Amino acid sequence: MKQVEVKLNIGAVAPLLDVIKEAADDLRDTLAIKAAFPEEDADFNETWTQDLMAGQNSDVRELLGLFDSEFFTDGAISIDSNNCDSLLRGCSALRLRILDRWLGEVSLEVIEDEDADVEAIPAAVRVHFAAYTFLDQIQKIILDHLHPTGTG
Amino acid sequence: MNQPSAQTLHRFVLADGSSGLLLFPVARVSPAGVTRPGTKPVPAPDTQVQLADSWRVVLLNDPVNRMSYVVMVLRRVLGFDEPLARQHMLAVHERGRSVVWTGIREQAEAYMFALHQWHLTAIIQPDEAG
Repeated sequence: MKQVEVKLNIGAVAPLLDVIKEAADDLRDTLAIKAAFPEEDADFNETWTQDLMAGQNSDVRELLGLFDSEFFTDGAISIDSNNCDSLLRGCSALRLRILDRWLGEVSLEVIEDEDADVEAIPAAVRVHFAAYTFLDQIQKIILDHLHPTGTG
Repeated sequence: MNQPSAQTLHRFVLADGSSGLLLFPVARVSPAGVTRPGTKPVPAPDTQVQLADSWRVVLLNDPVNRMSYVVMVLRRVLGFDEPLARQHMLAVHERGRSVVWTGIREQAEAYMFALHQWHLTAIIQPDEAG
C-alpha cells in the first residue's frame, strides 16, 4: 500500500482549519455543487440528493479526521491508497464551498493562479484563500504521489 | 436509395476500463409517431425514430478542480485512457463543455451521478444527433 506522510507547520495550518471546519459545517446539509437532476420525479431526486449528501459528508469527515489530536502533537498527516479517494473528494467539496461562500469577489484569474500575489486578495479573505490553496495542495500531493487512477 | 440500417450502435465504457457496443433497433414509424412520457410526439411521417433513447453526458467547466484532478476522475469514472481524458479535460477548459459519453439513459444517469460524487458538474441531454 502506497503511503505519504506530510509534515505541516501546526501554527500555520491551525487558522486554516478554522475556515475548513466552518465550510464543513456549511456542507452538512447542502451539496457542494447544485444538483442537476436527470428526472422530474421528486422521490427520485430526493434519493439522488441524499445519496450524494451521504457520500459528501463521509468524505469531509475523512478529511477532518486527518487533523485530530495526534496532528496537533506532531504536525503530521498520513495519506494512503485507502483514504486518498475520500480525501480528494472532500478537498474538492470544501474548496467549492470556500470559493462560493468567501471568495466571490476574487477574480477567477487570481483563483486559478497557483502563484497569485497575496496583495490581489482582499485582506478579509486571505485566510480563506490560504485554506482554499492548502486543500488544493493536499489534492496535488495525492495526485502526484499516489496516482489514484484506479487502473492498477 | 438504400434503406438506413435498422439498428444503431452505442459505445459504452465501464468504470473498470472495459468497453463494448450496444445494439438498438430503430423503427420506421407511422405518421402518428412514437411518444414516451414527458416527450412530444414525433410529427414527421415516415421518420426514423429510435425506440431506445440516446443520451449525452455533458461535462461542464468549473473554476475549482485542477486539470489533473479532472483527468483522474474521467479515467476513474468513464474508464478513459490518459490521452482521451486529457482531450476531454482540455475541451471543457477551453470550450466550457464536452460530451464525454453517449448511450442509454440509465447508464448516462449513472455516469452523471458518479461525476457529481467527484464534484464535477455534469448534465445529461437527449442526443439529437441520434
